[in-house]
Order: sequence, then structure tokens, then C-alpha cells
Amino acid sequence: MAGEKTFYQEYEVFSKRTQNSAFQHQFSLLAPNEDMALIMAQENFMRREPVADIWIVNRRDVRKMDREEKKTLARLDNKEYRLTKGYGYLKKKWRHYEQQVLDEKEILSWGGDRK
Amino acid sequence: MTPIHTVTDDELLANFMERIEAGEKIEADDWMPEEYRVTLIKLISMHGISEIMGALPEKEWVPRAPSLSRKLGIMSKVQDEMGHGQLLLRVTEDLLLPYGKNRGDLMQDLFKGDLKFHNVFHMETKTWADAGIIGWLVDGAAIITQTNMLKASYGPYARALQRICAEEVFHAQHGESIIMALAEGTDEQKAMIQEALNRWWESLLMFFGPASKETTGSSKQDLTIKYKIRTKTNEDFRQIFFDKYIPRILALGLTIPDPTIRFDEESRLWTYQQPDWEEFKKIIKNKGPRSQARLNLRKTSYEYNAWVRDALSATVT
Amino acid sequence: MNMTESTLDKDYKEAVISLLFQLADDDFLYAYRGSEWLGLAPHIEADVASSSISQDSMGHAAMYYKLLEELGAGKADDLAHIRPSSERKNSILTERANGEGFYMETPLYDWAYEVVRSYFYTQAKKVKIDSLCQSSYRPIAEAAVKVKMELYYHKLHWETWFKQLLNSTDVAKQKMTEAIARVMVDFGDVFSYGNQKQLIEKCALIDTEEELKSNWKMNLDPVFAVLHVEVPAIPEKAVRNGRNGEHTKDLDEALLTLSEVYNEDPVAIW
Repeated sequence: MAGEKTFYQEYEVFSKRTQNSAFQHQFSLLAPNEDMALIMAQENFMRREPVADIWIVNRRDVRKMDREEKKTLARLDNKEYRLTKGYGYLKKKWRHYEQQVLDEKEILSWGGDRK
Repeated sequence: MTPIHTVTDDELLANFMERIEAGEKIEADDWMPEEYRVTLIKLISMHGISEIMGALPEKEWVPRAPSLSRKLGIMSKVQDEMGHGQLLLRVTEDLLLPYGKNRGDLMQDLFKGDLKFHNVFHMETKTWADAGIIGWLVDGAAIITQTNMLKASYGPYARALQRICAEEVFHAQHGESIIMALAEGTDEQKAMIQEALNRWWESLLMFFGPASKETTGSSKQDLTIKYKIRTKTNEDFRQIFFDKYIPRILALGLTIPDPTIRFDEESRLWTYQQPDWEEFKKIIKNKGPRSQARLNLRKTSYEYNAWVRDALSATVT
Repeated sequence: MNMTESTLDKDYKEAVISLLFQLADDDFLYAYRGSEWLGLAPHIEADVASSSISQDSMGHAAMYYKLLEELGAGKADDLAHIRPSSERKNSILTERANGEGFYMETPLYDWAYEVVRSYFYTQAKKVKIDSLCQSSYRPIAEAAVKVKMELYYHKLHWETWFKQLLNSTDVAKQKMTEAIARVMVDFGDVFSYGNQKQLIEKCALIDTEEELKSNWKMNLDPVFAVLHVEVPAIPEKAVRNGRNGEHTKDLDEALLTLSEVYNEDPVAIW
């Protein structure tokens, strides 16, 4: 049994390196409350890297998966219809019509300046 | 109705060993055999508390470091040691959950002498060169054992070690930089490193633990290998240490304080003078030169400011 | 007035050097006292976090010593390590020991004192830095802009500790109240420029002592209002004025430790 009264709570620390990057889980720390957790987070886990933002989450608020539930994550590798590789034949088709296929690289470039 | 199949412990164990063999990572909430949990707790709590106690001998040199940049470097290094302690104690605390134990209990175990710390951190430091030797060779030794566990079957430990090893690279260079300055310095400075090396050599050999349990009566290396926490033996580690560091020690014009040490071409192994393993047993039972003083330092500060932890318990919502 | 080293007249240079010694010695001693806490803080995560503040502060001291070196006052490491206490210009507050006992044996360091000293010192440093960002001496102004960047964290860190401990148990409130009293006894020279007051203020290197004091109080007012506590008054006159080289035995002991290795051979490379 616990010999000492525990007053610390477990906080999960997330951070992002730059404004554009996604949050990433770093580690967990013990703190009495979230303000304390926040002032300790950066120096405990990100002493040598740039940090653009930090989230603190009390571990009790994290809904985790158990071993049974993790079984729901597996699936068959037969879902080409969700991926561009299921439509790979289009490149050849367009060539027949003397047009270039609009692939991922081309489409994602449309956000830039008009060439 | 189909009868529900209750999974037996044997099946759980078989499944667990299959996962480990397949290179899967075990996580804190996963089922694990008691022996695995206990092995991990012993290993990681000792590793963690050794970082915390290991901060103390180097910390002795923090205020005394001989320049502004050395003061900054060693402060940051000792901070990292405390940080490693934080990571490892967190991993241990999550493993202790089923036993209802927490960090406070770990500290009490340390004070009672039930939780041991590494032999090197029981030793005295006498000069600035000791701070250099600790950074260069003690951290070098630690890097060898820690990198071997980067692929440990227990995910949280492997992830903590990823962070730790990345920082150890900085520590090793911090130590090398102190040693290099002394090695290229005055005669007094050179003598200072040789004396420090002589002082630390036996402790460095002991750091890796006995070659087999016959030497000291117990060793946890068999279990850690069985559960794929590590792959190499204590003696493997010591040999790697010799491979990596003996040429560097000699290159700086230092002498290994063991006239018998030599590399045997046939076996590709170093033969060397064994450290006094009886002394090792005494040291890790907190009977080393600075064991009690450092425990006292840790305990006094922990208890003297206990009111802070009590006060903040009032803020828990 | 915007001057560079080449055009410094004698008085102006003297004022710059005096102020830089005060700034450098303050941060150096503050960082040194913080570094004695390494490994001994009441909570491991707090130990790690507060060490960064000591490192930052030592880094700030190093910047000021470097500016002094550039002004021909001596080598930065010599300035930090071998000047006797009579030449040190830090405030008494920054040199005070953390508590009874030597840091290697059985020190009885008081976390309440650490929190209050750090919080009040950081607030004082902040009002100085805000003012120094407009200093007439450009190298100081440039350094101040850099230091300011790290002070946001220092202030948030110590303010959180200060508020939380004063808002908790009776024991903590008691200890914090005692610590506030002990810190304030030594606060008389924190905003003092010592004998160089007129010169430093005349050269527009930084705001006047009175302006800084009033800004310090203004910064603390809202925090204290929430805690239902009065901002303590700064003593009118310092018992000892560190800016004039008047110090306690705590500084002598600190200098002995911090220069122990350096003094074994001050010309060697360490």
C-alpha cells in the first residue's frame, strides 16, 4: 500500500515544434495541478528543441484502448479503391487523349501561384 | 449460448512470449507476467534512482566549475541527470500502479536501503578532473549499457532511453572537453587526470556488474536477456568499454592503472585485473565512502521541504 | 544620446561600466545560488525546471561580463571569478545563502525563501530590463532585448509558485510570510545604483531608482490584490549597499567556493 499520501497527478505533455507542425506526445510528468504541470513541461522534455505550443492533459481524461479494443484497429489490405493506386490506369488513358494525368503532385501545387 | 472461454494464465503467458519474440512492444496497461513486471521495476527503479543520486557527486562541482562556460555546461549536464531520473521514475511509477506504490514510496525505499543505486555514485570526488572522468568514462560506460536496451521489449523504457541516449552524446562530449583541456594543460592539470583515472578505474570496471552470479551471489542479467530487455551480458559490456576507451585513454598519454591489462588476439578479449567484488558488494549495500553522506543529503532536503509537497496537495482538484 | 565605444567620454564610460558590473554580478550570484539547489528541490520535475532558470541567468551574467570585457574592464572569466567581495556590485539579496549548512553536507535550504527571492528578484529584473531596452548605450539595449525574451518564462514560473504556495496550507502561508520578510530586509539596494546614482541616471542608461521602484510595485499590485496581501515596502535605506561593495560573509563564502578551482591556476585553460 502507499506509504505516503499521493498528491501528484499524472499529466501527459504534448507539444509542437513549429506553428505548422502537429502536436506530438512527449512524455508524462507528476504535478499537483495543471498550472504547475505547464510551467514544468518545456524544461523537462524539450530543453534542446524549438517549441511553438504545449498542451497538458490530465491522464484521467485520456480514453485509452484496452487489448480487446486494439483488435478493432486491424484491417485487410484490399482497399485500393481508397487510394490513388486503385486508379493508376488513368495515366495511360489520358495519354491516349493527349492529356497529362492530374496526379497528387500536380493537384497539390494548385494552391500556389498560377503558372 | 456458446460457453465463454476464460483465458488461462498459461495462454496469456504464451501469448506474451510470442509478442516479445515477434519484437512487439509491451505497454504499461498490457498484461504481463509478474516476473517481467518485477524484473522491470528492479531494473528501472535502480536506473532511475541512480540518475538522481548520480546528480550529487557531479553537483559538488557545479558551483566550483572553473569558468563561466564550464559552470553552464555542468549545470546543464546535472540537470539532464535529474531529467533522466524523472523519465525513469515515471516509467517505474506506472509499473508500480498494481501495487499501489508511488514516488514517495520509492524515496522511502531509497532511504531504507531497499532501493540501491550504482556503485560509482557512492564514491568520493576530489578534484575538478573527477568531474571530467565522470562525464567522459562513467557516462561512456552508461552509454554502452543504455544503447543496448534501446530496443527493449518494454515500450515505455525504450522510449525513455531514446531520450536519454540522445542527451548522453552531449554528456560524453562535455566530459571529453573537460579532459581534453586538462590533458593539453599544465603538468599539474595532467597529473590531476591521471590521479582521477586511478581513483575511478576499479569503480568503472564494477559499473558493468559481475561477469556471472557466481561472483557476487546474484545477477539479474539472465532475466533481462530472457525477456529481451537487453541482449548482451555484463562482460560483453565491459569488453566493449575497453575496446572503445582504452585506445583513447592511451592516446592522451594516460596510463591504465592495471599493469596486467592486455588484448588477447586469439580470443579477441581483454584480460584484466578483476576489481574487488567483495568491496563492490559492500559499496552497493550503501557502505561505500560517500554512501551515507549522499543519502543523508538527499533525505534531509527531501524531508526539510516536505511541507511544499503537503501544501500543493491542497491544490489537487 | 546614442553612443558607441569609440565615442565614449570618460564619465559616460564609467557609468556604463558601473551599471554593467551591477547587472552582471546580480545575475551571477543569483544563478550561483540557484545552482546550489540542483538535485535538492522538493520535487524532481521542479528541480529540472528551475535549473533552466539558473542557467539562463548565468548566461545573462556572461553576456554582461562579455560587454565589460569589450570595454577593456578585464577578461570575462576573471571578472566573474577573481574579484574580491569589496569589488563586487551585486545586491545583498542575490548573495544570501539559501539556508543553513554547506551545499555538500547537510544544507537546510528553504524553498519558501527560494520562491520569494526568485519571484521578487525576477520582477525587479524585469522592470530594469524593460527600461534597459531603451538604454542610451546600444550594446546594453541589445543585450536587454535578448534577456527580456527569457524573462517571460522566469516570471511565469516563479509567479505560479508564489501564488500557489501562498494559497495553500497554513504552514506554507506562514513560511512564505516569513520568507517575504527576510527577502524585504535585503531589498534596500536592489534598485540602488549606489554612489554612481547621479552619473548612471544622468547618462540615460536606465530609468531612475524611483521610477524602477514604482514600476516594480505596479507589477506586483495585481498579484497581491488577488492574494489579499499588501505589496511589502522597499526599505528606504539599505543596511549594507552591495552596489558600493558592502557585503556579508555569505558572499565571501560563495566566492571561495565559486573560484576554488579557477584560483588553482587563473592563467591555465580549464
